[in-house]
Amino acid sequence: MVHLTGEEKGAVTGLWGKVNVEEVGGEALGRLLVVYPWTQRFFDSFGDLSNAGAVMGNPKVKAHGKKVLDAFGEGLKNLDNLKGTFAKLSELHCDKLHVDPENFRLLGNVLVVVLARHFGKEFTPPVQGAFQKLASGVATALAHKYH
Amino acid sequence: MLSAEEQAHIAQVWDLIAGHEAPFGAELLLRLFTVYPSTKLYFQHLGAFPDEVQLLSHGQRMLQAVGVAVRHLDNLRAALRPLADLHAHVLRVDPANFPLLIQCFQVVLASHLQGEFTVEMQAAWDKFLTGVAIVLTEQHR
Repeated sequence: MVHLTGEEKGAVTGLWGKVNVEEVGGEALGRLLVVYPWTQRFFDSFGDLSNAGAVMGNPKVKAHGKKVLDAFGEGLKNLDNLKGTFAKLSELHCDKLHVDPENFRLLGNVLVVVLARHFGKEFTPPVQGAFQKLASGVATALAHKYH
Repeated sequence: MLSAEEQAHIAQVWDLIAGHEAPFGAELLLRLFTVYPSTKLYFQHLGAFPDEVQLLSHGQRMLQAVGVAVRHLDNLRAALRPLADLHAHVLRVDPANFPLLIQCFQVVLASHLQGEFTVEMQAAWDKFLTGVAIVLTEQHR
């Protein structure tokens, strides 16, 4: 469960309404794979990730990025029950995908940077704070079922 | 180790910050304190609610130090040794805080440069700032 004030919830939901989920998702995942290249370990089947251009233009990266961000959006609608919302995905990331939960924190941080890039001045310190709280909550929820 | 390309990206972004260290630094600190309130504990000399003047002043000092780092990419250790000693022995900053500052730095760059903040710039700056943080925590023990 993540504790956002009424103002923070408003800021996050308001901004999210303007987010192009497909574009931002693909960009966030792409930037994660370029800035932290070891994260590519989970995407051997994605084809050409050999340089920044290849990663950012890779259709599988874009498609998966959208999927990830759609899930993030679901979390936004269920702030009072993030652990429940992400229970199945948590099990999947542990048991099948074997993803180190540190990657969720990294992706959350990259997503915040991408949002800052898109929204500029509108992405004020309080808005950043609200999104970082949300990203942190989602990361924790995704790690919850690990064993 | 920064490649020639990475060094170019660092210089390119720094050109946009140089001369504006105070406002960039102030925004960096404001984001740090807002998003990660526990970091305020290290800045008690700025008071419980630092005002704009204090943020501009201290922010300028911090960004000027980043400028020193930018000009000494080939020898960060020597150039930043006094600051490393300061952070280790006087300020005693827990090393876990540096990634928080780096995240806020990336957000400042992204929100100002927007369309010009390429993935290559983000990668180079992340690598560079992480390198600076490593040097600044090398004297801790």
